[in-house]
This record gives sequence, structure tokens and C-alpha cells, in this order.
Amino acid sequence: MQTCSNCNSQQLNGAIFCADCGASLFTPRRKETTMSLSAPMPSGVIDTAEPVFIPEPENEATGPSLTLVIMNSGRRIKLDISEDLLIGRKDNARGIYPDVDLGLDGGYDAGVSRRHAILSFKNHTYQIEDLGSANGTFVNGKRLAPQVAMVLANGDEVKCGTLLMRVEF
Amino acid sequence: MSPGIRLQRTLSRAILAESDEPQLLYVLLEATPEGMPAQLPKLPLNLCLVIDRSSSMRGDRLNQVKEAAGRIIDQLGPDDYFSLVVFNDRADVVVTAQRATNKGDLKRMIGGIEAAGGTEMATGMALALQEIQRPMLARGISRLMLLTDGRTYGDESQCVDIARRAQSRGIGLTALGVGNEWNEDLLETMTARENSRAQYITSAQEISKVFNEELQRMHSIFAQRVQLQIASRPGGMIRSLDRVRPFIAPVPIVEEADLRWAANLGDWPSSDVQAYLMEVIVPPLGPGDFPLLKISLRYDLPGANLRDQVSEEIVHANVRPVAQVTHEVDSTVKYWLERLVAFRLQANAWQSVEAGHLEEATRALQMAGTRLFEAGEIALAQTVQEEATRLLRSGSASEEGRKRIKFGTRGLMGPQEGGDPQGQR
Repeated sequence: MQTCSNCNSQQLNGAIFCADCGASLFTPRRKETTMSLSAPMPSGVIDTAEPVFIPEPENEATGPSLTLVIMNSGRRIKLDISEDLLIGRKDNARGIYPDVDLGLDGGYDAGVSRRHAILSFKNHTYQIEDLGSANGTFVNGKRLAPQVAMVLANGDEVKCGTLLMRVEF
Repeated sequence: MSPGIRLQRTLSRAILAESDEPQLLYVLLEATPEGMPAQLPKLPLNLCLVIDRSSSMRGDRLNQVKEAAGRIIDQLGPDDYFSLVVFNDRADVVVTAQRATNKGDLKRMIGGIEAAGGTEMATGMALALQEIQRPMLARGISRLMLLTDGRTYGDESQCVDIARRAQSRGIGLTALGVGNEWNEDLLETMTARENSRAQYITSAQEISKVFNEELQRMHSIFAQRVQLQIASRPGGMIRSLDRVRPFIAPVPIVEEADLRWAANLGDWPSSDVQAYLMEVIVPPLGPGDFPLLKISLRYDLPGANLRDQVSEEIVHANVRPVAQVTHEVDSTVKYWLERLVAFRLQANAWQSVEAGHLEEATRALQMAGTRLFEAGEIALAQTVQEEATRLLRSGSASEEGRKRIKFGTRGLMGPQEGGDPQGQR
């Protein structure tokens, strides 16, 4: 038997995708740099009359948090956003260590710049700002002008180059 | 070479690791006709169109249906039977089952159909089943072709019962939904047996093309009453069987005797390649070569006047010590499995939505999107992601999105109008 790294269920040897959650069992999971999907979201909180989404209870973080979901790898990254976060690609030689390293998710091929965009929490809103990246930052398909912050809504799709992500908070 | 069906099978792994536990093996089974003459003698057709004429069909939709029906009539031969039933709040026979000799008259009768009223599908289906059984065809292909654009209320289970009755008598059902207001769950359920399919038609302009493709398919049927039988070694089991070509659909398979599974695969048109993906549970085995499955396909070849033909394939398990086994997966098997998993995940998602478990539904849709993205189905992956987001934000999915996802993941949508604005990777 093998264990699904996404949902922890037991699967037969020879299975290629988890029969319970559909995650790939075959591709070895990359070592995560930040906390990946752990406890499931609290259920039963959606009220059909007035949809209200209660975010995951914050653990160590005392400030606001945000989750980035990388589409191509399924990687979920939970971030403490009490300080601004740099999205980009790690470059040891130049000493660039972004808070969100998209090099792990095929960022190089997707045209993610080393210093691509900044995520921040200001005036009770989540914002993203493109840092003049080579291939652009897009929110729901619309390209951002460089150095102009855009407010994000829960569930928005953010693209750096061609790398697609979703924000949840 | 005598006519028949050639079977080809591909295993997810050619070599299995020895194990003291059961393990899973995927078997892709592909079937192609061989030895068939280039021009197949045409089997007589018996086609009944079942047309929704509720008020929403007024205008373009009904006009396209009339034109499409006319084109079908033009292509029918002297041995073919045609009938047409309309329904709204009640059902009427517009063309009683007859040979298509006076084509002008038939088209005139169809020309007089008007759109008005509500939608009661069961009355239409019942009348159509009655009508299609009137010609006593010794051999041939009977099909009901249903077209609807709206929802029927209160008679859904009757519609399914009538569909099952038809299918058990060898009468297939092709169900076409036009626009965004029809009940995809109902049409899916009605067509979940052999010789049946549901299709999503996004615009009235496509109606004629879809009708025509169905007629071509009926005209190219070369094998009938195809049955799959699988015998397994002790401890083995067929966990599931799904068609993957020409479109993805689960196939009911039952263990009809100890270690013998059987499934009905219907009539096969030569215009479609048939492929099936099986999940097989392999019993614990030490190193060696073991016969694992005997796969038998039974079928009639009416064009060659042959009945009860058999094609067979034996699958062996080649088992080696763990150290000698790589973890490579056959890429063709993986290709189809990825799509099958995406299809299953979206089906689970809609069930979770029904049950009010929106968290689970969203997770399942997100995972389906990931699978589709990795499979290179970018446009469909984006549609799935959009619906997952919509579900997350508003608690429900869009009518159009649901249909695009259900039928897109099956492979039953034709090329869509408008390109993908975000471009492909």
C-alpha cells in the first residue's frame, strides 16, 4: 500500500492517481518550502442565503494571512502577510531569495522574473503590485501596469508570466 | 483475412513487482475492425426523432431542427424507416413510422410544427418508443434521437425508465441538449447505457451538423450486440471499466459468475475507434509469468451475415523481484487515465454540490483542473478553475459552466466558437 501525500488515504501499489482525492501518486512530491495543505477548511460554513466565507483559523501568525494555490502543481502555500511578500525566482548567485519562490513550480519556463511582484496587506485589503517584470503580472486576465498596486478579491486568479495561481483569504 | 475485430491491449506497467499484497494494474483495450469490405452493405435504419416544441424552441432552434430533419430524410434509403414525435405539454406523432419514400410529403408534415407550451418529456418519450417499435425489422439499427432545450418536471424518473426499456430492447438513445436551460443530469442518466450518448449543443447552428454526424454513425455500424467477457485468475478482480474512446463514459460491469465479469458494449460504428480502460486488482504474486485475464469480445457482423463471433486476448502478469522493477508508467495509459480521473473528479464535485458539501466540491473541481492542466487541456482546465472560483465565492456554479465541464471532460463537445483569450501554454 502507499499513502497519498495530499489526503493521507491508503492506496494500492500500482495506483497512479489517488482514488479518493485524484492527486498524482506517481510524481514524487517536491520538498515544500512553506506549509502545504494540512487540515481541511471548516465545513458547513456556507449559508445558502448569504454566502459568508470564514477563513482558516490562524495558528502561529498573529497578523493577516493569505493562501496561494499554484495551478500546475496543486501546491498550496499559506503565507503570513503582516509584512510585504516578494514573489519571484530564487537566485543564489545574486542573493535574491523571494518569499514565494516560483522557480519550484516551473517559474523559469513560465517567464517569472527573479523579482516579479509584491503581495501586501494595506488598509484592510490584499494588494498585488508588479515590479516591472519582463512578462507581466495579470489579475483575472488583465495585465497590471508596473508599480501600480491592485486590490485583490478572494478567489482572484493571478498570473506571473504564464504561471497561473489563485489567491484565497 | 476474415472479417472481425482486432484487440490490442496496453498495460500501465509491463513488469509488476512481486508483492504479498494486492496491487492495481490498468489495462487499456483498443479495438479496430479488420477484414471488412471497403463498402459495407447498409443495414436498414429505424430512426425516430423526438422533438421538444415548447415555446423556448420558437425561432432559430425549431427552424434548424426542421432543416436538419429534412437533410436526414434526404439521406435515408428505401429500406430505412423514419418517424417523428413532438412534445410540449402533450405529445403528438407528426410522422408515423414509415419508409422514407415520399420525402416531399414528410418534409411538409415537419414544416407545419409550431413551438408553444411547456415541457413534458416523458409523454414524448413514451409515444416515441411506441412509434419506433411499430415497424417489425428483422435486423437493423433502431435509434431514438431526442432534442430538448428545457427542463421537464416531475417525470424525470419516468424518462429514465422509458430510456432503459428502449435500451434493453436494443433501441439506442441519442439525447441532445441545446442552450443552457436543460437538465444535463437527466440526459446523462438516460443515456448511461449501451448505444446511447448525450451531447451538448451550444448553438442552434450546430443542430444540423450533429444530426448528420449521428446519421453517418448509424450508417457505419459494422458490429452489433458487442459483449465483453473477462475471466480472472483467483484473487483477481475488475474494479472498474470505462470507455475512453470515442468519449469517456463509465460502463456497467458485473461479476455474473465467480471470477467472470461481463459488460454490454452495444453497436459499434466503423467511424469511431473504440477504447476502454480497465482497473484490475492483481492478487499477491511471487516472481514468474502468470496468466491473469482472459478477455473475450463477442459480437455479430450483420454486414457479413456472421453472428456470435469471438475475439480473444490473454493478459499475463510478468512479476519480478522489487529490485528489478522500474516505476515507469506507459504514457498512453497515463494519457487516458488523466482524463478519466478529471472526469470522475468533476462528477464527484457535482454530487457534493447536490449534497451541500461545497468545500469538498470545490476541492474536487480544483483537482480536476490540475489534472486537465497537466494533461494539456488548458482551455477546459481554465473553465474548471473559473467554476471552482465561482463556487467558492457564491456557493453555486453557472449553468453553462457545468455543462461545458460535464461534456468537455467526456470529450463530447465539438470545437467551440471563440478562441481562448488567454492563449495556450
